[in-house]
Amino acid sequence: MSGRVIVITSGKGGVGKTTTSANIGTALARAGKKVVLIDTDLGLRNLDLLLGLENRIVYTIVDVVEERCKLKQALVKDKKNPNLCLLAAAQTRDKSAITQEQLKDICEELKKDYDFILVDCPAGIEQGFQNAIAGASEAIVVTTPEMSAVRDADRIIGLLEAKEEIQSYKLLLNRVRPNLIKSNDMMSVEDVVEILSADLVGIIPEDTGIITSTNKGDPIVNDDSSLAGKAYNNVARRIMGEDVPFMNLEEDRGVISKVKKFFSGLIGKEK
Amino acid sequence: MRDIFQDLFNKVFGFFRQAEKEENAKDTAVNRLRVVLMQDRTNLTPELLEKMRGELIELLSKYVEMDKDALELNFEQEGNQMALMLSIPVLRAKDEDEIETENSEDSDEAEEKPEEENLDAENSESTEDTESSAEDTQDEESETKESNTNSKDKSK
Ligand SMILES: Nc1ncnc2c1ncn2[C@@H]1O[C@H](COP(=O)(O)OP(=O)(O)OP(=O)(O)O)[C@@H](O)[C@H]1O
Ligand SMILES: [Mg+2]
Repeated sequence: MSGRVIVITSGKGGVGKTTTSANIGTALARAGKKVVLIDTDLGLRNLDLLLGLENRIVYTIVDVVEERCKLKQALVKDKKNPNLCLLAAAQTRDKSAITQEQLKDICEELKKDYDFILVDCPAGIEQGFQNAIAGASEAIVVTTPEMSAVRDADRIIGLLEAKEEIQSYKLLLNRVRPNLIKSNDMMSVEDVVEILSADLVGIIPEDTGIITSTNKGDPIVNDDSSLAGKAYNNVARRIMGEDVPFMNLEEDRGVISKVKKFFSGLIGKEK
Repeated sequence: MRDIFQDLFNKVFGFFRQAEKEENAKDTAVNRLRVVLMQDRTNLTPELLEKMRGELIELLSKYVEMDKDALELNFEQEGNQMALMLSIPVLRAKDEDEIETENSEDSDEAEEKPEEENLDAENSESTEDTESSAEDTQDEESETKESNTNSKDKSK
């Protein structure tokens, strides 16, 4: 087996890289794929919290590179899904504790046994970013429809394009608020895609469910009724090569569309 | 009673008219982003732009008298492309004699520094070509498109 290594990156902090990593990883595992999530945000680890695995971590990625344990020993199995496991970041060390070469080696080894290796990247464009992309051949660039996030995404795309090993990158637009887009107060999905001229892999709506799922340590894709969960599931399916149409988030929102629905409902009944 | 309605109508109508005139937040964001990304991508820093501005003023003052402080050099969007727009408020075009004297002053200097001779020769040649167009633009803002930069199309 030779797995795919995908780095989840953004440039700007706090736009949803870790949320995205946890959810895509969980969705891929639910679809029967063998998945490893690697947290490379040394000193600021979070992925363990989002998966509810914070109490199970014994060894971290730094223990692996410093040879205090074998790679397999450091992989923490997910509670719900045996296909999913986490290689946690060290909380007490900084970015210089691992090198690009070491991360590359880890990815190479994991590729033999897993279908997907998802690397959660720290914010910024410094060493942590360089480390995270070192072993990857694909990238997902997360951004929100805000100017500063889009600008930073453009910077990241420039760096990814300069990196030969990265064969493709896709854009994931997070925290989309259809009502703000509708009132022309926020850039639309089309605006961002056009400005960055990159292919889209997902559109995730702003969803308070993400906060509660983070609090529970249970990724939102496990909640089948959630819109954001569905959107993340669609991303996973697209990654697996399925052609899934993008959800129309604007549907069923706002007075006008409700009125329209009501009328079209009436017309429908007349027939 | 009628007056009240009239008043209300005007207020409501005025509100919509105003809303129409003002660029919405989304368009502002898109336009500002386009400009800033073009600067990011081309590495054309504000300092470089300022230097270009200075040199352009120097060159153009040979032929036209202009409002130097109002000269603008900016990135603007033109359809799908970004353009570097130079807008020059022209007060008047200089006449032939003025241009001649300025150029001959230049060539006087050039005699002292012979290595610059070639450059000045080129300059005085182009004087004749530019003359007529300078008159055309007299008293109006001439906009010169300096360069077009395609937005990158490298998405894979
Ligand atoms: N679609 C969403 N709807 C609502 N809240 C969201 C959404 N996506 C992310 N968030 C919230 O935004 C915050 C930041 O998310 P997250 O930690 O995933 O970002 P990050 O890019 O990994 O941040 P960092 O750069 O610090 O690593 C979290 O509190 C998360 O719950
Ligand atoms: Mg994070």
